[in-house]
Amino acid sequence: MKEVSSNKCAGGFQKVFEHESSELKCKMKFAVFLPPKAETEKCPVLYWLSGLTCTEQNFITKAGSQLAAAEHGLIVVAPDTSPRGCNIEGEDENWDFGTGAGFYVDATEEPWKNNYRMYSYITDELPKLINGNFPTDPERMSVSGHSMGGHGALICALKNPGKYKSVSAFAPICNPVQCPWGQKAFTGYLGSDRSSWEAYDATTLAASYSGPRLDVLIDQGKDDQFLSASQLLPDNLIAVCSEKKIPVVFRLQPGYDHSYFFIYSFINDHIKHHAKFLNA
Amino acid sequence: MTCDAFKDEKTVGKHTYYRDMRRSLDTSKFNKTLAKNGDSLNQPVALLMDLFEIRGGQLDVIEEEQEFSLMEHSGAQRVSVETNESLRFEACDSPSPAVTEDSPDDVFSDTENESDVIRNKLQEKVSEMENFAGHLEEIFLTVEENFGRREQHLEQHYNDVLQTLSQRCDDRAAALQEEKKSKLEALYKQLLDCGRALDASKELIESAQEVHRCHDNRLFLKMVMPMIKRIEDVAKDDMDLTLSTTLEFQTPRCDLSDVKTMMDSISVVPAPSAPVINPQAPNSASQTSLRVCWSLFSDDTVEYYELFYRPVLEDCPPADCPTPPVNKVKVKETHCTVSQLLPNAQYELWVTATNITGISPASEKALYMTVPCPPVLDQRGYMSCTDAALIRWESGNTNPVDSYTVEIQELTSDGTQSDFKESVVAVPSCQCLMQLQPGQSYVVSVRAVNIGGPSEKSEGLQVSTTGTYFSLLEESSHQCLCFSEDMFTISYGYEDPPISAMAFDDSGFTRCVAVLGDLLSVRGRHYWEVQVEDDTEYRVGVAYEDTDRNSYLGANNTSWCMRHILTPTRHKFEFLHNGWSPDLRITVNPVQIGVLLDYDRGTLSFYNVDLKQHLHTFHCDFRSFVHPCFGLDNPGELSVHNAIQMPTFT
Repeated sequence: MKEVSSNKCAGGFQKVFEHESSELKCKMKFAVFLPPKAETEKCPVLYWLSGLTCTEQNFITKAGSQLAAAEHGLIVVAPDTSPRGCNIEGEDENWDFGTGAGFYVDATEEPWKNNYRMYSYITDELPKLINGNFPTDPERMSVSGHSMGGHGALICALKNPGKYKSVSAFAPICNPVQCPWGQKAFTGYLGSDRSSWEAYDATTLAASYSGPRLDVLIDQGKDDQFLSASQLLPDNLIAVCSEKKIPVVFRLQPGYDHSYFFIYSFINDHIKHHAKFLNA
Repeated sequence: MTCDAFKDEKTVGKHTYYRDMRRSLDTSKFNKTLAKNGDSLNQPVALLMDLFEIRGGQLDVIEEEQEFSLMEHSGAQRVSVETNESLRFEACDSPSPAVTEDSPDDVFSDTENESDVIRNKLQEKVSEMENFAGHLEEIFLTVEENFGRREQHLEQHYNDVLQTLSQRCDDRAAALQEEKKSKLEALYKQLLDCGRALDASKELIESAQEVHRCHDNRLFLKMVMPMIKRIEDVAKDDMDLTLSTTLEFQTPRCDLSDVKTMMDSISVVPAPSAPVINPQAPNSASQTSLRVCWSLFSDDTVEYYELFYRPVLEDCPPADCPTPPVNKVKVKETHCTVSQLLPNAQYELWVTATNITGISPASEKALYMTVPCPPVLDQRGYMSCTDAALIRWESGNTNPVDSYTVEIQELTSDGTQSDFKESVVAVPSCQCLMQLQPGQSYVVSVRAVNIGGPSEKSEGLQVSTTGTYFSLLEESSHQCLCFSEDMFTISYGYEDPPISAMAFDDSGFTRCVAVLGDLLSVRGRHYWEVQVEDDTEYRVGVAYEDTDRNSYLGANNTSWCMRHILTPTRHKFEFLHNGWSPDLRITVNPVQIGVLLDYDRGTLSFYNVDLKQHLHTFHCDFRSFVHPCFGLDNPGELSVHNAIQMPTFT
């Protein structure tokens, strides 16, 4: 693991590292924000999963999360969205599949299954790496994300009851098996057997979730084009959570779109939400 | 003379008589001289004083009696204050011991005993005499004092008499002068009249002579007849030669009866002068009694005092309203406690002193006031939070009081009251906001204060600073709301409210079936919880005091609330202010809602208490304090829980 960049920010440090990933079998970059508190104490960790087309850079340069993270003493880790430089054929053909569109699954189909194991990377390898190299409290971690990353955050939390203290999402893809994005990605990564898709669908996972109580915060821009394009389908998730009594507060924010301007506007609320559980 | 002289019957009788006489007078003057003497020695000294006072200074009588009684007691106590003989006394003869033919030991011991007894008696006598001697100086002074008083009194009395006589004399002399003046005037007038008459006659005679001298016969004849006529007329006139006034002076009867009365009263003990009544001493009054003190600044003899009192009415009574009756108490002391009075009332008091001669003039009238009744704390309608409390009470008195004093006492953890007590004084109205420490329990009580002093303590109110406590304001509620007995649960029923429940005032909600809680008038954070059923359609939040009672909670810019609506398919939630709500979905319907008001941050937050889940936060920037508000949109029930410690999830 080597440090790629370091900038003092909000009293702490915004750093980028690169390492050789065993799950993804390539070099991967990830961003880490270290709050001032990390100089003297172990801090909890918030994992941020970015959306389609993003790298480790978008979140740390556009979301404006550092001030709130510094205030609440949280380490924020923002990995990349897919393996890079694997030279898989067709990986750069689409912006919503392949490079920059890992969908946080462990692919089972060729030619993806060797490298495209973002689910294991995020839930297993990366935390181990972070815990081994930074002043973290390994018992306290939470997960959040945007769009595809929101989908990633939700499924990581639902598939690992008790692993994450809290979960939140911005404009997540709530029901991928029902939307074009999800269907395209799952077909490619998981094959045509829809039953295998359900293991990575937040709505389906919520319906059968049993574990420690979650407290989910979701913000959704009302003027989000992808919402109206039925890519996100939050109502499905809400309906299931209502029935299964999974506590969710879903906020439809009028006038906001799908961009980082939207994330920037509400990131403080999300960090505060996570801090409540991570600092408890 | 044996010691048995004391037991002589006559002596005893006299002794009793004088003792009784003494007791019937104001004994205070005598006490200092008498108290120190043994009772057996009182007679001579006492007699001196007694007789002097009783008999009004008829010294001859005294002497007689004195000698008489002294003769009775002679031998043992000859009182001759100016000689050294005073302390000489003859010992009682000891009866000779009966010498028997018994053993010499018996004789000796008997004799010893006898002499012991006698010796003891002698000792007693010596000490009594020493006591007596010691007090002679005081006796001297008292006699001088008494003499001085009497002399002064005498002088004054005679002066008065002389003045009166002198005045009479002057009056009489003036009257006499007047009389002389009028007599002389009358006589002078008479003299003038006579003079005039004389002159007229003289003139007439001269005229007649002239006529007579007239040589002209014709002229003479012409003038003579009228002249004769004139003379005849004059001659006919009777001369009044009597004196118009007498020469003697009148001697009117002189009424000197008043002077006689004055002379008569010289020898009488004067009636006392007016006593001086003291102003009300602090803390001497109770709710129904007053302790009144007065003093006599002259050395007059007083047999008893009479204290008069009556209540002072608030306003001037109208002509047809009778003035209150005057009550009267007779006392021997210079103080009195008057009871069975009204609380918080002003009384007018005055006192007279009476002795054998008569009653003194009344003292100045003093105004005293009884202490008020204790106030009554509102046991439900107070507000408290972690660092302050606002308590309210009823005065407890129909008439106004000057101020209130609030007493705050900490309650220790085992429920006892600590010694530490804080008082807030001069509270002008029936409420008080006080600073307290967080996480403590207190007992608060109030006293009403007027010029008479503070009332008894009111019944205490227990206040705890664990969390925020407030009551629901019944007068703000919509008429369809019913309250539980503990006044913390409201319900909106299916039945129409009874006609009697319809209030015709402006302070209640008219459309929104809602009620306000007490104003949260302390800065900082306040937290309370609301309990509902799964299907209750409610509005819960805060509102300004002036929020429109004809409007719905959250529909205006003076209220904020969380609203739950039940549709056939799902639960809907709104967070309303100014009629607008963000678009929110909440997947688990809260039945215990936590409300957190933070004045400093200007936020109002809602939580699902069971899940410790944050639901929504308003950012408000409050311009003034707010009331918690609760409403029911459809029949249902809602309970308010407060005085809760701030939970950690907030």
